Amino acid sequence: MADVLIRRPAAPLLLLAIGAALLVPLFFPLDQSAVALGRVALPPSFTHPGGTDDLGRDVLHRSIYGLRVSLLVGVVAALAATVIGGLVGGLAGMLGGWVDRVLMRIVDTIAALPHLLLGIFIVAMLRPSLGAVVLSIGLTHWLSTARIVRSELLSLRTRTFIDAAVAGGASRTRVLTRHLLPHVVPKIALATTLMIPHAVWHETSLSFLGLGLPPHMASLGNMINDGQRSLLTGSWWASLVPGLVIVVVTLAIAALAARWRDRLDPRVRAELNL
Amino acid sequence: MTDLLEITGLTVRFRLRDAVVQAVTNLDLTVRRGELLAVVGESGCGKSVLAHALLGLLPANAGVTGRALITLPPAAGVARTSTDRTFVLPGGGERPGDRTVVLPGGGERPGDRTVVLPGGGERPGDRTFVLPGGGERPGDRTVDLLGCGETTLARQIRGRRIGLIPQSPATALTVVRKGRRLLAETLKQHGRDPRLADQVAAEAGLDPADLERYPFELSGGMAQRLCTALALASDPELLIADEPTSGLDRPLVDHTLDLLRRRCDEGAAVLLITHDLAAAERVADTVAVMYASRIVEHRPAADLFRAPAHPYSQGLLNALPDRDFRAIPGHPPMLTALPPGCAFAARCTRVTDACKVQPAGPVACHHPLTTAEVPA
Amino acid sequence: MIRVILRRLAFALPVLMATSIGMFLLGAASPMDPARQYAGAAAFTMSEENLHQIRDNWGVDDPLHEQYLRWAGNLLQGDLGWSTSRHQAVGEVIAGRAGWTLLLIGLTLVVVLIGSLVAGTIAAYRRGGLLDRGVRAAAYAVQSMPSFWLALAAIAVFSLGLGWFPAGGLTDVRATSVTFADVAHHLVLPVTVLAISQAPWFLLFVRDSVAESLREDHVLAARARGLAGRTVLFGHALRTALLPFLTLVGTHLPELVGGSVLVETVFSLPGLGAVSVHAALGSDFPLLAAITLITTAVVLTANLFTDLAYTAADPRVRIDG
Repeated sequence: MADVLIRRPAAPLLLLAIGAALLVPLFFPLDQSAVALGRVALPPSFTHPGGTDDLGRDVLHRSIYGLRVSLLVGVVAALAATVIGGLVGGLAGMLGGWVDRVLMRIVDTIAALPHLLLGIFIVAMLRPSLGAVVLSIGLTHWLSTARIVRSELLSLRTRTFIDAAVAGGASRTRVLTRHLLPHVVPKIALATTLMIPHAVWHETSLSFLGLGLPPHMASLGNMINDGQRSLLTGSWWASLVPGLVIVVVTLAIAALAARWRDRLDPRVRAELNL
Repeated sequence: MTDLLEITGLTVRFRLRDAVVQAVTNLDLTVRRGELLAVVGESGCGKSVLAHALLGLLPANAGVTGRALITLPPAAGVARTSTDRTFVLPGGGERPGDRTVVLPGGGERPGDRTVVLPGGGERPGDRTFVLPGGGERPGDRTVDLLGCGETTLARQIRGRRIGLIPQSPATALTVVRKGRRLLAETLKQHGRDPRLADQVAAEAGLDPADLERYPFELSGGMAQRLCTALALASDPELLIADEPTSGLDRPLVDHTLDLLRRRCDEGAAVLLITHDLAAAERVADTVAVMYASRIVEHRPAADLFRAPAHPYSQGLLNALPDRDFRAIPGHPPMLTALPPGCAFAARCTRVTDACKVQPAGPVACHHPLTTAEVPA
Repeated sequence: MIRVILRRLAFALPVLMATSIGMFLLGAASPMDPARQYAGAAAFTMSEENLHQIRDNWGVDDPLHEQYLRWAGNLLQGDLGWSTSRHQAVGEVIAGRAGWTLLLIGLTLVVVLIGSLVAGTIAAYRRGGLLDRGVRAAAYAVQSMPSFWLALAAIAVFSLGLGWFPAGGLTDVRATSVTFADVAHHLVLPVTVLAISQAPWFLLFVRDSVAESLREDHVLAARARGLAGRTVLFGHALRTALLPFLTLVGTHLPELVGGSVLVETVFSLPGLGAVSVHAALGSDFPLLAAITLITTAVVLTANLFTDLAYTAADPRVRIDG
């Protein structure tokens, strides 16, 4: 449903963003710690489309590097969360009984905790670093995947074609790989994709608070944090550009994922709702 | 009996993602005051859509064409104008039984009659009056239900002129509110005393004590009677009853049907939508048989039940337990994929090449049964 | 009613215990040395012997379960420990700041609930219309904006650009006392930003839920009875559409807390959010753990209240249990 906003340009925009994040470093490498005090706080122009910040660094160039890091963290953290969630949900759904009850109780427990505070706590205890950020996102974002996997497995277990396969002499593993996985995998993949914007948001939040990636590193959260300083001196572009990058990329991912979800499950989009 | 509702060419289509549902096709029906018209047919033939179309309650993906003209009495303030005159009828003086009538000023209208009043011949003082004709009453307005818009429907039609006993009583009640609250609210909306709730409930066959329960605490039959009571609360001129007897046992079915009949005898009109032919036979004046979105036979109830003319009507009657108790073979077609020509052809024993063309008329069949063919 | 409370408590106590154990283990795994942190800058000049003394006093080298029980026991007795980042008792730090965070979150919640209920209902009522499409597009757009970025944008426009509201703090720097008007003036931007950043989720829920209920049988039946539009909407559609909303407000509270941390930081508000960031930078376990536990307890309590409200509002739960 997010595609009410950007329906058509979602895919090209995302391709453009990913392409830039992959290709720009090849042709225009960035010295993360370089400063150029000769061209401090220049407004957007032809040579610096995003302007320069209070240390004379090109905002757009650093934003693209920041996007690269954010997407990397987002994808890795989303995968980590999917693995944890898949394991927990899979165990709960396959074994059922008290295992299911205990695991789901744990899921409910973590859902009742403020994610960002928990993430801050984890990062604080492990010291801010790339690994700590990924871990803190992975440990707080697996709940929805666990719930999805569990409920899918539970509903599949009661469907007749599984019984038929088992009655037909198929082994448990065979039933799992041949019949269950094809049903569950697309939903997990969708959940993972929808999680990437969340993970990016989480990473930028931590970085913005100074609890994420090292401060000299070009990351979207760090840049907005730096931009806060420049804002007072009137250079609004230093925080606007990295923010816009976050907005456009998360919107594009969400819009594509929403379209994908509609295709997976047409019922979601009720005919009468509009 | 005067016409209350005249439906012509009513067609309803639902646009789905990859299909179009032909719910109602080119339907003509007239409902008169005092008439109980039953629309019968199997479930899924489009008869419930008819009710929602008339009340403007169809979802946004529905397309409606045609006309449904309802006759409304003069709007308040129209009846009495400065040129209206009051007369005392008839007889040579003030007597019991004399009636006062208000005649509109402003001249002759089509259908007006001239009467000479009264007293056994031409006498001085006899006067001639023009009385309004039997059909159109002075100031009567007609409103097209399909084209008048939501505001008119909401403020003038729903409840006030046309009441609805909805199809599935269990979901039609707001679960978080007690029956009494729902009933009192409806009575109040229509300017009636909320304390009439007990009386209206009893009229619908519901024990007033059950009004203290929440809808989810009611049995299916009790919920059905509460829905009937809610429809009666506004005392509508036309009551559309959509399967009003489902979930009721025999005595309550009869109670509800008698209630509908009584309303007609008192001058209101009832459109009874049902799959229960026995119910229709018990109370209906006129029956319209619906099949695959169309009316296939529309005749006085007595005629139809004695000698059905459409093979489908005959099939329905034969399926009754006190007749052959034999169902029509096959299934009705999907409303998303209706065949060209007669939709019943696939299940009909009398089918010929002629049936490839859509039949029309009060008996929509190329090969109707004659009276002689119907077993006594 | 009592059954609901008992059920919630039976859930809350294990949650708090599990959370405290989890956090304690994470703290124990942390590379930080609490003794050095306690000593602060003095640790560099302090002899290894003195550090050892502090460790012994604190029982840092005792078995983990003993340490946990000691810590949890202290917590239960109201001794929340010593904050190494603020050099102050944790209880004092929290007591001095919790009120402002509660005020921020409370005000935001009121604004969000009223705003999303009104806008969501209108959008649902005129679904497909200009307002509906506009509101939904805006909601999706805002949903993708980080709240701290939104806060910076608000500062850039309304305080630096237009000069309508202060850019941060709770009172004017020249003020000698806390006055209501001053605090209100300072809270306008933070509350609005937090409300806007949290609103999309509530707004879209209300909109979809009401839009769906307007097509439900009981609402169509109410319309068919000729009830006035207002009666249909408030007495029938909203009554059932918003029941799940009550519980969802409770489950969404953790998100609101997270947003408040960011907004407090941007607007330099003296609440718990800003202090936990400061504590995190200094790996201040006692303060962070206490804040997280207390927040969790507050969220669980709020969930209890929304459950009670739900029970009061839905006769099905009230009567069937």
